[in-house]
Amino acid sequence: MERFTVKAIQNMLSDKQINAAELFDLYSSRITDYDQSFNAFITSDVEPNVEYITDDKNQESLSDAALTGIPYAAKDIFCTQGIRTTCGSKMLENFIPPYDATVIKNLKQQGAVLLGKTNMDEFAMGSSNETSYFGSVHNPWDRERTPGGSSGGSAAAVAAGLAPIALGTDTGGSIRQPAAFTGITGLKPTYGRCSRYGMVAFASSLDQAGILALSAEDTAIFLESMAGFDPLDSTSVEESVPQYSQYLEENIKGKIIGLPKEFFDGSLASPYEALVAESIDSYKKLGIVFKEISLPNIGYSVPTYYVVAPAECSSNLARYDGVRFGYHSKNIEDLDEFYRTNRQIGFGEEVKRRIITGTYVLSAGYYDAYYLKAQKVRQLINQDFERAFESVDIILGPTTQTSAFKLGEKVDDPVSMYMNDIYTISSNLAGLPAISHPIGFVQGLPYGLQLIAPHFKEHDLLNLTHQYQKVTDWHQMMPKLSMSSESNN
Amino acid sequence: MAITKSDIEHLCGLSKLNLDDDEIPIYLQQMTDILEMIEQLQSADTDEIIPMAHPLDMHQRLREDKVIDTNDRDIYQKNSLSAEEGFYKVPKVIE
Repeated sequence: MERFTVKAIQNMLSDKQINAAELFDLYSSRITDYDQSFNAFITSDVEPNVEYITDDKNQESLSDAALTGIPYAAKDIFCTQGIRTTCGSKMLENFIPPYDATVIKNLKQQGAVLLGKTNMDEFAMGSSNETSYFGSVHNPWDRERTPGGSSGGSAAAVAAGLAPIALGTDTGGSIRQPAAFTGITGLKPTYGRCSRYGMVAFASSLDQAGILALSAEDTAIFLESMAGFDPLDSTSVEESVPQYSQYLEENIKGKIIGLPKEFFDGSLASPYEALVAESIDSYKKLGIVFKEISLPNIGYSVPTYYVVAPAECSSNLARYDGVRFGYHSKNIEDLDEFYRTNRQIGFGEEVKRRIITGTYVLSAGYYDAYYLKAQKVRQLINQDFERAFESVDIILGPTTQTSAFKLGEKVDDPVSMYMNDIYTISSNLAGLPAISHPIGFVQGLPYGLQLIAPHFKEHDLLNLTHQYQKVTDWHQMMPKLSMSSESNN
Repeated sequence: MAITKSDIEHLCGLSKLNLDDDEIPIYLQQMTDILEMIEQLQSADTDEIIPMAHPLDMHQRLREDKVIDTNDRDIYQKNSLSAEEGFYKVPKVIE
């Protein structure tokens, strides 16, 4: 089985080797045949959500649209009109949104076709896709391992060739870490670059929609259509959207990449350190200049995040009362008990844990010591980045400490699970765009490198990654798949 | 600041969440571990630092005070198991 990039598909469609309806069927069949091994999809029996696909005449009139006929998958956190949207939770098991998220609407307007909704950690809380009410996702490279999270379903779907590209969200690393664990490219744009309208909220000052793809080129193609100001999102930024694909071939010679000494403190195990060193060499050969920098407060990233994110989540998830939508218990006569029971049954453990943590750090007597303190440390981390970007164009580091860990390995130890986010979290705190791309394998498992740019410099990230991907082929390697009927369950 | 069982119960009240009696010790232990990790923040020097609520230091954008939404109550209430004749029916609130 072959994986097709979005770019390749565009060529196949314009050469009329295949039409949009056949392409949709091809991917739908792959999902039917292979997804039982991965559980990457929560909903996949969707009718094409773009009318033209069944009508040749309409297909012609939409041929100017940027993404005509391109199938994609969307993390089940994006509201899709008429199509169940669960956030990986029992709470929203039967929720059918009456509207599309803005990014979904943007892609529809450009002719892209939704294949299905992918599995995820419940309400985007997790780093392994093990907290989903709909079961864990399995890494296509080794089914006993996690694909990462929380966008684990999107990552597994793209890595396995069940979708050419997928949407995810990244609040603390939830696009980049799964991309690294599954050997694909994952981009978290600048905070405010893509609209959050219709994207179920977890931590409102950190959440951002992004892309999981087979290449920087594909990412650029999709980002052009996804991004942009939205008056319906009060945190959306009025910054024009560049034609990202036109920046891919810009000259990168002489660009300066900063290596934070805090990321290179010897704590990475040697096989991973060796891959990072090789990728630095590859960038050097492309003309990049490296410089050591320091981000002195970066060590506070994880504790800062685990105050801010749970605090914001406890507020955002207060809406799930079982009255207007969501899981609803019967035969309870007291209103308070009704709310409490709905939420006890509707939410899983990690969600409850974060709600309780968040409520604690916001509660009277603790707000100053925890939440206010964390917001101040967040400012320190942001200032470190601002200072660093005065002398470098991009910052480089690992995406994760290791390659994918085994399912079940960290479920009973939340703090150990939280430490997975150690390299990714700081860019969410500072709202910076960041990308992860594959740089090799350790014992057969993919490993990724992370690049971080100043606000709204996604084009630099895509440019650099594309140049790297022109001289390497890690991003083209595909796991071996077996049909669901053949695999051992 | 050690967290206790009655703290957890208080937090459950604030966040409208029930936990079973046998779950509470597990949550208590996990919360203790999490709070220990978070305690690291206390060593950061944040004198004179302004808290950062928004990554881009933006301010609330305003719009003209004009009605732009349509009344689609029936569509929105399709996801509710409590909706009746346009209202939401809940357990009795007032004695």
